[in-house]
Amino acid sequence: MDIAFSRLESEVAKFVLSESIPAFANSFRRTMISDVPKLAIEDVIIYDNNSALFDEMLAHRLGLIPLKTNLSEYKKKSECSCGGEGCSLCESVYTLSAEGPCLVKSSDLIAQNPDAAPVTGEIPIVKLEKGQKVVLEAHAEINTGLEHAKWQSTLACGYKTYPVITIGDNCDACGHCADECARHVLKLAKKSVEVIDGKLIDCSMCKLCEKACVGSGWEDAAIRISSDNTKFVFVVESDGSLPVKEIMTYALTDLKDKSDSLVDVLTNISGAL
Amino acid sequence: MIPVRCFTCGKVISTEWEEYKKRRDAGEDPRVILDDLGLERYCCRRMLLTHKEIIDDLNPYQ
Repeated sequence: MDIAFSRLESEVAKFVLSESIPAFANSFRRTMISDVPKLAIEDVIIYDNNSALFDEMLAHRLGLIPLKTNLSEYKKKSECSCGGEGCSLCESVYTLSAEGPCLVKSSDLIAQNPDAAPVTGEIPIVKLEKGQKVVLEAHAEINTGLEHAKWQSTLACGYKTYPVITIGDNCDACGHCADECARHVLKLAKKSVEVIDGKLIDCSMCKLCEKACVGSGWEDAAIRISSDNTKFVFVVESDGSLPVKEIMTYALTDLKDKSDSLVDVLTNISGAL
Repeated sequence: MIPVRCFTCGKVISTEWEEYKKRRDAGEDPRVILDDLGLERYCCRRMLLTHKEIIDDLNPYQ
């Protein structure tokens, strides 16, 4: 198994996973989406709110704000020594107090722990007119995307199998397939069409080129699109709460732990028989 | 108020609203603005493109 990055930034990663199987690629994707924990606001105590938004709406908007997460600093409420009551080890507390006229932004959310502040201070929460007031206290906790999408640290997270384009000897270089290709993957060379260097990865496997080839008179298409089931093109984006690298490492460790425990259970069962 | 995140993919798009609105009202082509703001997917683009701010209409009835 091998991973080759074509792009690795703190919020976006594009890579090719090779010598793998579809089952692994999919479990990796699913783990990144639903099993990587992060902080998000869960409980909101509203002391005062006479804005145009209802309390529920306000709490919902607060929940969606991405918060910087240090996974070593917090643990899940259900696994905490406080027994789920909420302590500094499993909860991060924020206060917000604003009086109109103003636009309340995520920067007005004052975090007790500055390391767990909102990723960006520019998220508008509510617009207040003169005389309107919002005073609240918010408690953020660690959980996973399995529970609610606000705890999902990835945005676009998916893969496709690696495209394989085979051009047969019967290609007459008519160029119809190259004209039809929406991703501009093909070009016309002297004797046949060719895949443009570095463009193969852009192929969406829509097979429009195959249809164009058949349409231009050939009974059997000279161009064939198939996919390599051992290679996967991944795109992973983060909302900023965790760097993509950390999401990937966490997901892989989690996947390994889970398969290890499955092996343990299976050994126990077979041992008991 | 503009939704905090894109309904479909979850990208935070509300941060771009003020700039989008300002530039759109100045007569710029929404396509160019959205490209500039780095909104690549059509799910995120429609969030700004189809948003109508109604909080100012609601406020008098509080």
